[in-house]
This record gives sequence, C-alpha cells and structure tokens, in this order.
Amino acid sequence: MAKLKKKPLTLNFKKFKDKISKIKPNFETLKNKISKPKPNFKKYIKNISNLKINALRILKQVIKEFRLLWTDKFNLLLAIVIPPLIIVMLGLTMTDAPSETQSIPCMLISYDSNTFINPNNFTESKLDNYTMPYVEAVNKSSMLELVRFYNATEEIYAMEAARNALISGEIKVILSLPVDFTELLEWGLPGLIDCVLDASNIQYIQQSLNSVYDSIKIFVNDNNLTPQFQLQGFEEFTIPEGYSNNFNSSIVMALSFMVFGIALVLSILVIVQEKPIARLLLTPVKRSEILLSKYITYTLVLVLQVSLLVISGLSMGLYIAGTLTDLFIALFMIGFSGLTMGVFISSQSKTKTQANQLFLAVFLVAVLLSGIFIPIENMPLYLQVIAYILPLSHGDPLLRGIIQKGQSILGLHFIWLLVISIVLVIISFVIFKRRKYEV
Amino acid sequence: MVDVNNLNVKFGEKHVVHDVSFTVDKGEIIGLFGISGAGKTTIVRVLTCQIEKKHWTGNVMVTGLSPEKKSNHSKILSNIGYVPQLELLNLYFELDPMVNVEVFTSTYGMNKKRAKETAEELFKILDIPRDTWKKRVEKMSGGEKKRLSMAIGLIHNPDVLFLDEPTTGVDASKRYDILSYLKKLNQKLNTTMFIITHDLESALICDKVAILKDGRLLEFDTSQNLISSLPSEGLIARFTIEDLNEKLIAFIKKFPSIRRIIRVGNEAIEVLMENFEENLPKLIEYMVDNNITITSMSKDIATFRRYFQIRIQKEEEEESSLKEVKVIRK
Repeated sequence: MAKLKKKPLTLNFKKFKDKISKIKPNFETLKNKISKPKPNFKKYIKNISNLKINALRILKQVIKEFRLLWTDKFNLLLAIVIPPLIIVMLGLTMTDAPSETQSIPCMLISYDSNTFINPNNFTESKLDNYTMPYVEAVNKSSMLELVRFYNATEEIYAMEAARNALISGEIKVILSLPVDFTELLEWGLPGLIDCVLDASNIQYIQQSLNSVYDSIKIFVNDNNLTPQFQLQGFEEFTIPEGYSNNFNSSIVMALSFMVFGIALVLSILVIVQEKPIARLLLTPVKRSEILLSKYITYTLVLVLQVSLLVISGLSMGLYIAGTLTDLFIALFMIGFSGLTMGVFISSQSKTKTQANQLFLAVFLVAVLLSGIFIPIENMPLYLQVIAYILPLSHGDPLLRGIIQKGQSILGLHFIWLLVISIVLVIISFVIFKRRKYEV
Repeated sequence: MVDVNNLNVKFGEKHVVHDVSFTVDKGEIIGLFGISGAGKTTIVRVLTCQIEKKHWTGNVMVTGLSPEKKSNHSKILSNIGYVPQLELLNLYFELDPMVNVEVFTSTYGMNKKRAKETAEELFKILDIPRDTWKKRVEKMSGGEKKRLSMAIGLIHNPDVLFLDEPTTGVDASKRYDILSYLKKLNQKLNTTMFIITHDLESALICDKVAILKDGRLLEFDTSQNLISSLPSEGLIARFTIEDLNEKLIAFIKKFPSIRRIIRVGNEAIEVLMENFEENLPKLIEYMVDNNITITSMSKDIATFRRYFQIRIQKEEEEESSLKEVKVIRK
C-alpha cells in the first residue's frame, strides 16, 4: 500500500516577511494618493485669472460687435425702431370704434313692387310695403353707405349698372330685394335678401356681411318683425370693452412674424460677412469666444427689441389675458429661435449671397407652414412634421394662448422653442468650430 | 527663435512640403521666395498653428514651443503676429484704426492705455497720418491700410512677425517704402520677420532668403552668399545684339567657358562664365569673328532676381534630365 508522504509543515517566515514588505509600498502609494489632492492655490489663482482674461476677451468682443452694429445704423434701425413703429401703425389703423370704421358703399335694388295699369292706361309700379322701410334701415346703419337705390321694375338695367359699379370699385356690396320680399314677411316666412359681395379682397367679405347684418337688425327692430330663427352665439376669450378687437387679434400674428423675422435677418450675416475672423483666429481668442460674443450681443439687442415691442403694444391698447412676464419671455423665445436659426445659417454659408438665399427660403417656409394661413392639421403628414419642427408654428399658438386665453407660458410650445434653440446653438458652435478659415 | 527640422506636409496623397529644415535667429528677416505652389504659405501655416498635426511630420519649434501640441497654440499665437496679404482679412473697414487696434489688443489681454501708447508709437514709425486715426479704415488709402495692417501685426510686440506678400498690390514706387518701413521696424523692435513673397526685390531687406520649389527648400542663405556662388562670383556680361534669335544664342553658348546665357530682352542677353575677366575679351572676339553685331555691352554683379531665375532654371533642367534618364531606363 502506498503511503502518502506528508510534507512537513514549516512556516516560511522569510517569504511571509517579503510579502509584508511588498505590501508596505502599497501603503506608501495609498498615502501618496491621499496626500495628492492638496489644494494647489497657485493653479487655482492661475485658472481664475485665465477665466478673467477670457471673460474680458468676450466682453471686448461684445463691444466690437456693438461697434460693428452701430456702423450699420440702418440694420440697427430695422431691428429696434421699425417693429414698435409697425405696432403703433397697427394700433392706429385697426380699431373697432364705429366712428373710425369706414362704412361699406353699397347699392340697393328692389324687385319687390306691384305693377298695375293706371287710369290713364299706363303701366305703373308701386313699391311694396317693406321696401322703403329697408331702404331706411340701410340709411340708418353706420356700417353701410347707400350709394344708389334702384326700383328694378322701372329701371330694367339696374343690376347691370350695379355690377359695373362693383367692378369699378365704386361699391363693395349689391343688396337685392326679391319680388316676394314683402309677401313672405307678411305671411310670417323668412324674407330673403340677395347679397352680392366684392370677394376680390378677402378682408372685406366679413366686414360686408357684418354691415348687411347690421342693416337687417335695424330693419327688424324698427318694423317690429319677429325673425323666424334666432342665432344665439356664445363668445369665449372676448376682448374686454375699451380694447380694440381687430388690433388685438392681428397683433398676435404681427408680433410673432416680426420678432422671429427681424432676429433672423439681423443674424444671418454675422459670421459670413466678418472677414477678419480668420485673422482674429491667429490671436489667442478662441472660436467659442467669438461665437459666444455674437450670441450675447444679439441677445441684448433682442431684449431691447422685445421691450420696445411690448411697450408700444401696451401703449396702443394691447390686452393681455395672461401675464406680462409670460408675454415677454414668449416673445424673447420666439426671437431667440430666429436668432439661433440666423446664426446657424450664417455659420454654414460660404458667401453672403448664399446666406441671403437661405434666409429667404427658411423664412418663407416658416411663414407658410406656421399654421396662420393654412391650418397645420390640413397639411399632408410630411409637411406637418416640417411645420411642427419650425419655430414659428409654435410661436403663434404660444402668443395667442398668453394674450387671448390667459394661458401660462409653460407648455409644449415653449419647451419646443427652447429645445430647437438649444439644438441650433449647439449645431452652430460645432459648425463654426469646424469651419475652415485661412489667411 | 524658429527651428524647422525635416518638415513634411501631406494632404491625403498630395505631398506639398518635402523635408524642409532651417533655423532662424532672433531679429533676422527671412524671405521665403518661390513661384506659386512652392509651399511657402504651407510652411508658414504650420508655424502659425493653422495646419493640424495629422497633416505634417518633423520637429518644429516657434519661440521655443512646438505647434505639435494643441495646448501650445494659444502661447504661440500670443508670441507671433501675422499680416495677411489682403487688408480685408485683417482690418474691420467699418471701424477706425484705433478701434481696430483695440479689437486685436483685447485678444492678447493688453490694457487699453498700453495698447493706445503702442499704437501711437507704431503709427508714428509707419507714418500713418494722425487725421486718419479716428476715421473709418475704408476711407484710408491703400498704402495706409497696408501700414495699419502691419501695425496691428506688431501691436502686441510679438517675437516673430509673419508677412504674407506685403508688397503685393502696392504701387512700384511705394513698394520700397513698405520694405524700408519693415527694416525700420525690425531694427527698432528687433522682431524676427518672415516675408512670404513673389516680389524678389524684397530680398534687399532680408538677412537670409529661402528659395522653395515644389515644396523643396533649394537654398537657405544670405542673398550675397547665393550670388557669390555663381560662376565668377556672380559677374555678368550684358550684351545687346542685333537680330538676336534662339539660333544665335545657341551658337554663342558653344563658347567653351560659358556657363549660362539668359535672354533678358528682345535683343539682350546676360552671360555667366568661368574666369570672367580673362574670358570676356575672348568671347567678344568670338562673336565679332562670327559676324554677330554687338550694339552695346556692360558688366555687372548679378542681382538676386537673376540668381533666383538661374537657380529655378537649373532645377528645372535637372528635373527634366532626370525624367529623360527615367524614360531611357524604362
């Protein structure tokens, strides 16, 4: 039977000692590691002084940007003075006060008459009961201006003459009372009034219809008529008395277009037209500092522009259902998205012409797909996607929400404007960093 | 001050600078000469941190720092100045000279007062009229813009100043003014200057000249040394000959001691030969004996322009003979 050889159990102290001694230096390194993060004040002070120089450099670059802006006074005028001027113009032209509303010129033709043979054996026509009361109502209405009244039974070319007046622009509306106008009203049936409108200019259609409606209201009241049906409307988000409805509804569109468009047009050339950037890059100034100084400058211009817009809007009777702060931030964000888009265009354009063409394309697409002219929901899906990416389609509902409905700024539209602006800032920094400059 | 060793620059497959080496000391004016595509601008772009390291190899030191490391770029750019060929790239035309100065000095962290003092000093040296200091740059004359551009390049008192074609686009009469201003600045400020140029007259103010061709450094020495390296230490005989043509030149070339004939006009040639003083009478005799009508004759020392022409010609001849050898071998 084989015996298992037992190895004598001896302790190798030497080896053990070696192992321990090997561990020792580890303690040393650990000690070193712990002692390493000693505060290096010199380094900190150097870093702080570097930061100071960088901040100073950026500040000087900002001053340079302002000086460059000041040399192009027309551009500055465009950015700061024109937008509030437009608001003032809107305020002066878009009012609801009746005295200030121009009445709609019209012609009235009545076919509602009795024709009979008079004792002298001549054919004679006599206007029916309700024709002249309606003529009176039209005359009473401040929204209509009766240019001429025709008794169609006697003047057979009345409609032709009225149509010619409509073509020439002398009148905007032809009102026509049908043959059975009086009979229908007397029998308690709805009396029809034919209305021919000049639809060549879309803005007159609603105004013309309102004017006709006004004359009917007067006619019904004056003659104690009971209308066959009653239209009962409930209006939400109405503008309080004393504020102009027209001005307040149109200012929303104007504000978003102006803030976005002017920020865009101001910034599209900031990089592409500054030739000495190539030479500046042969100094210690960094590309990021150059671009940051541009953003700071144009953001300050934007703040001034938005402030003036808000002031001019308020002075012209802008009603804000929400808060003034929200409106200011919203306008700033719309402008900032235009600014970032402009800098983005400028950073990747090789020439001024290219930047201008890109501006035109971007601005037109942004306006057309903003949802102001065509509801976004009615667009094909691919256009809807593009529309929702573009800032202007978020700017308009954001402003409407704040101004007309009293909504808070916080919501999807604001977040999207913020996101798209941040993305464009990042992209413009990346492009500018990679842009090739050679002197 | 500037040390370049075995610099090679490649853009993809294109090898634009081949093994260039040279050293420049403090206060020297160096002229980089060469026809277009010689690699002058590329070398300067490496020295001014404009070309990424992936495109070049070799040891390059500018003011004791290597442009190889990105962390050195800011320091190098603080130590150097650059005057581009076009003022449009260097100056804000809409602003006045003093504001231009402020824009650039702020990038170096200079304070306003010091910047103003330095600018005034430089403007005086460069004769920039005081009445233009507060006017828009666009209203200044071409020469004034050029000088302002030079002042801005020197505003932070750099150790090295690079000038790209400083005399291009300047009237012939003003060219020498620009060169003398540069010399004056160099003497006053002891700034090392690199002049990239096609204008061979610039060699007049250069302590050393570098001749480049197809990315290769052919020569780097003083212009006097280069001229002296020509046969008979650069002595040249200039002949005006009636009815001069290529056949006639080829015939004169057969004279044994002639090293090179350069046609310098419709009826003029310049001749370089060995043992000039001894062989010149013999050459005249040779021409007269062979019914060549010499209308005039003069002797002179070759200019740098002539040296440059001869050196480039020689290089081209060597290149074409090398090509011929290659074709024969094939």
